[in-house]
Amino acid sequence: MANLKEIRSRITSVKNTRKITSAMSRIAAARLIKAQQAAMGARPYGERLDQVVGSLVASLGGGEGEGEAGEAGAAHPLLLKRSGNGRVVIVHITADRGLAGGFNANLNRAVGTFIRKEREAGNDVVLLTVGKKGRGFFQHSGQKLVRHHDAPTLADLVVKAKMVAAEVMAMFTGGKEGGDTDLPQVDKVYFAYNYFKNVLTQLPKIEQLLPFESREVVNDERVLPVLEPGRDALLGHLLPIAVESRLQQAFFNSVAGEIAARRTAMDSASDNATQLIRELTLFYNRERQAAITKELLEIIGGAEALKG
Amino acid sequence: MADTTIQLDILTPLGPKRHGVVVPGVEVPGLLGELGVLPEHVPFITPVVPGVVRFRDGGESVRIAVGAGFLEVTRDNRVVILVERALEVSEIDANKAREDLKRVSAELSHELGSIDAAEHRKLVTEQGWLEAQIRATQP
Repeated sequence: MANLKEIRSRITSVKNTRKITSAMSRIAAARLIKAQQAAMGARPYGERLDQVVGSLVASLGGGEGEGEAGEAGAAHPLLLKRSGNGRVVIVHITADRGLAGGFNANLNRAVGTFIRKEREAGNDVVLLTVGKKGRGFFQHSGQKLVRHHDAPTLADLVVKAKMVAAEVMAMFTGGKEGGDTDLPQVDKVYFAYNYFKNVLTQLPKIEQLLPFESREVVNDERVLPVLEPGRDALLGHLLPIAVESRLQQAFFNSVAGEIAARRTAMDSASDNATQLIRELTLFYNRERQAAITKELLEIIGGAEALKG
Repeated sequence: MADTTIQLDILTPLGPKRHGVVVPGVEVPGLLGELGVLPEHVPFITPVVPGVVRFRDGGESVRIAVGAGFLEVTRDNRVVILVERALEVSEIDANKAREDLKRVSAELSHELGSIDAAEHRKLVTEQGWLEAQIRATQP
């Protein structure tokens, strides 16, 4: 049976852990509001941009109106469906730090499954990791990584999205642009991130980034708007922005999701610690009482024996 | 039937600047020149360059400096301006913008040879954005 000193030190240790977890939870709570507002504020922009570009692209793909635009790939290189070397790249967006519940693990697992499926389909997969946790996970499994960036923060998020977007667009359009010869050419670009549904729920998502495809077009606008300048010039202007914006949205979601996940995880860790402390204290008191009783009995027994 | 007002949204990645304001019309710096959008405009999409967006909100006239992006007029009489950044006049530090502009312009005029294309493009963008801010503060 555990002696009293052991229990006492165990209680102290759990109390110290609780101090850490509750501090982390409080820090996360304070940062969460800002990150959440940023993610929510960015959403209308991203969604609208996506819709506009999506309907433009959809109008190409359908080949309605002008016949010569039936082949979407002809309009812009970022729309071209390639079947060159069967290589795909996944932009894997995780956090830099752990202690955020299943935040990183869930996405790592989802991407792992995805990679296996792509391999079975005969495709070569390379990874571009954003966030140290994703890199750490795949480094050990021998997965090929082409680039790594640390996880974005609210301050450098926009710049980082631009950077990653430029890299993947270069890989997609030929792997030569900007002198980045170490970037292999790819046929497809996917990006994986945690979608910030609400504070309690983050959903791992893997979506296709390039060739650019419109998400479900909820557009009833069969009448095409007037475009100025022409459609191709407009696409040339908007497509890179749209690619950047999708990554930006993913970053915003990931940053807010990480903080929310950490808050939730640390909250429940603190609760568990409190529960554990309560149980241990009860046990400690009971043991203490038992020890006193035992001692008393011994003393009484001894006194009785002397009397006898 | 004819509407005399139009709804205006100005959206940026850092959150909406204006959402669903009802205005009699709006002036926007387009890629092919300054343009005004009035109610009942045909559905329309065009790029926006850094400059000043002007409209009347109630009795007061509003000026907002915007970065690059694009403008969309939808069929339901709505103008959406999507730009990478936007600042209200009250948020602009005109003196700082002027100083920054001086610095950026000097860099552009002196070091054209020694900087690469990407850096040059960045400086030009910055210059346009600063000029837009200054123009927004001058009525």
